[in-house]
Amino acid sequence: MVERGQRCKRVRIMPALAADMVVPLFAVGSSARVDADIAPKFKAGDTVTARNINPTGHTRLPRYLRGKSGTIEKDHGVFGLPDSMAHGGGETPQHVYCVRFSAREVWGASAAPRDSFYVDMWDDYLDPA
Amino acid sequence: MADHDHTEPPSDTALRVKALESLLLEKGLVEADTLDAIIQLYEHNVGPQNGAKVVARAWSDPDYKARLLADATPAIAELGYGGVQGEDMVVVENTSDVHNLLVCTLCSCYPWPVLGLPPVWYKAAPYRARAVSEPRAVLKEFGVEIREGVEVRVWDSTAELRYMVLPERPAGTEGLGEDELAALVTRDSMIGVALVEST
Amino acid sequence: MNGIHDLGGMHGMGPVNPETDEPVFHADWERRVFALMMAIPGSVYNIDEFRHTIERMEAAEYLSTSYYEHWLHCLEVLMIEKGQFERAELEAAWSNAASAANGSA
Repeated sequence: MVERGQRCKRVRIMPALAADMVVPLFAVGSSARVDADIAPKFKAGDTVTARNINPTGHTRLPRYLRGKSGTIEKDHGVFGLPDSMAHGGGETPQHVYCVRFSAREVWGASAAPRDSFYVDMWDDYLDPA
Repeated sequence: MADHDHTEPPSDTALRVKALESLLLEKGLVEADTLDAIIQLYEHNVGPQNGAKVVARAWSDPDYKARLLADATPAIAELGYGGVQGEDMVVVENTSDVHNLLVCTLCSCYPWPVLGLPPVWYKAAPYRARAVSEPRAVLKEFGVEIREGVEVRVWDSTAELRYMVLPERPAGTEGLGEDELAALVTRDSMIGVALVEST
Repeated sequence: MNGIHDLGGMHGMGPVNPETDEPVFHADWERRVFALMMAIPGSVYNIDEFRHTIERMEAAEYLSTSYYEHWLHCLEVLMIEKGQFERAELEAAWSNAASAANGSA
């Protein structure tokens, strides 16, 4: 299950979570937003193409959208990049956008003409179309 | 122990979990009564009854609905809901022209504070595979027929935003109060795989 | 990674099978796995490491095991990788649990 070389030093941990903290802590959670003043690469209305990347590590860019073009609907603000954070690489903070793709762009002529996808994407997943 | 000489895990999953739990307790990573508190919270306190109250409020109060659609997280917090897996919420509205459907093709992202933990089918391969490529066929299997002129919008939760559908208020519910309206709202209607019926 | 988890648009996965009046958990061990994962302090692992550990499951195993079995697999693998315990300690815990079960049978 665990390959050689993957083990790392024991991470220093805080004390175990106490039972009486469950309700208050879980009711707040922990937003993944990053408080960083970073300029967005895109704005609502821009047309973009999802990059054709095929990393062997973690990514949140699904295969079915790679190489497809869509439109920025909304800028959600700044978040850490999963591709980096899954591998101890730090937050690499950047903007996340809601991007609209038409069903025909993704699946071709057999898709319903008006249907669409709304998918959240990081700056690093997008190029100008 | 050498890596090639591994003992296989017990075939009985419950036993394997028991072993893991005892090890995590021994290491001080978790505390027994904390586990019970977490189970209590998600098995009994957090669930789609929360989201139903948000929907009922939005149907009853146009100003609240406007706040909910503009910035869902604080609007949902007005009713006392929020937290883990709902820190950054977006609510999308079904209308006579638009039908919204939620999925997480990559894992199982779901708005816990308003809908509770996701059902098995939402987390399983068939729904995750098909909701994006044939949403109308999937909806039909759930008994929802979408007219050709209606736009189906599929929201694939790839990032840390969590989505909830604001279903259409059914006809014939004009006289109902918020509690009666909330009782009509199902979990599936807030995922987008069902419509709200008036009875 | 182009793993089995990236399911969007795949054919051959069969029908969606919703369960009527589905309970939150289907077995007590599901409750325990869920609670264990949620109780471990956030400083030990982040959500992307959690997701990627599940994505690294063998494809056949991923498809033939349930959601909370994915979480169980993830906990075992991730806690070893994070140095929280050794594989040998986990194996010892398996033996102890099996002995305890036999003893009480």
